[in-house]
Amino acid sequence: MNEQQLGNKIRQALSEGARGERVGAQVLARLRAAREQALAHKKSERVPAMAWAGDIAGRFGGLGGLSFRVLLPIVVLIIGLAAIYAWERNQRVAEVEEIDAQLLTDDLPIDAYLDKGFEAWLKKRGSR
Amino acid sequence: MSAFLEGVERRAYKQAVFAVRDGETALDIVQDAMLRLAERYGDRPIAELPMLFHRIMQNAIRDYYRRQRVRSLWTTLLSSLSPGRGDGEEHDPLETMASAEDSGLGESPATQLERHQVLEIIEQEITRLPARQREAFVLRYWEELDVTETARVMGCSEGSVKTHCSRATHALAATLKARGITL
Repeated sequence: MNEQQLGNKIRQALSEGARGERVGAQVLARLRAAREQALAHKKSERVPAMAWAGDIAGRFGGLGGLSFRVLLPIVVLIIGLAAIYAWERNQRVAEVEEIDAQLLTDDLPIDAYLDKGFEAWLKKRGSR
Repeated sequence: MSAFLEGVERRAYKQAVFAVRDGETALDIVQDAMLRLAERYGDRPIAELPMLFHRIMQNAIRDYYRRQRVRSLWTTLLSSLSPGRGDGEEHDPLETMASAEDSGLGESPATQLERHQVLEIIEQEITRLPARQREAFVLRYWEELDVTETARVMGCSEGSVKTHCSRATHALAATLKARGITL
């Protein structure tokens, strides 16, 4: 009998010795409890959305001691805030432009012509 | 992971008993190994779990040996009498044997007794192997890890794994033959 054959024979014997009825009900119960406790503390698998970030982190090794898992959300947040600020500024500019355009193109209300200060300003501009 | 743990737990318990020769300690080792595997490696692919689990088990068993050596040293220093391990304690196998109904084999009591005695002798001889030979043999032939995986679990070269396995099988063949066991 060669080594592999002997190993197989002994494996069969050891497996038979590890059957439930030979190990005993008390041991089986303890093992089941240990298994359930371990599964209750199981480390969860990586979230798929962040899995690729983890791959990038593995390739580049992070930056300044911080992994990309920490850096990437911060970078995304900063870019988002910058984009919001730029959009709001553009909105304000657009609103001001619209008001200016209305002021410049709309007809003056009739009351403007009755205003003394406006008449004086027109005369002053006309004399230049 | 649940299926893996359920499949390996009884073998792991028996392997720990072979190594530490104490049921309670073996249960503690298996419990700790399961917990560490789940906590640290719960997100690993299933294919990696056997190697990781057995590596954790081997480390736990070595920790136990180290603690025993320290404890033994203190015991020797503090007392001139060391208690025996009691592993030579005799017990009647009929007290622990499964009945024909439980085993479902329909064998005669005499055949069951003979099989029980054969299994006990095999387990005794496995227990008596040097630790590294037992580790290599169990991982290769009972857990069916390949040579590379076994070497990684044991932290040694593949050549050492083959040497340990070869010596273990030769030793088992000789001792089982000497005890009248023919497989």
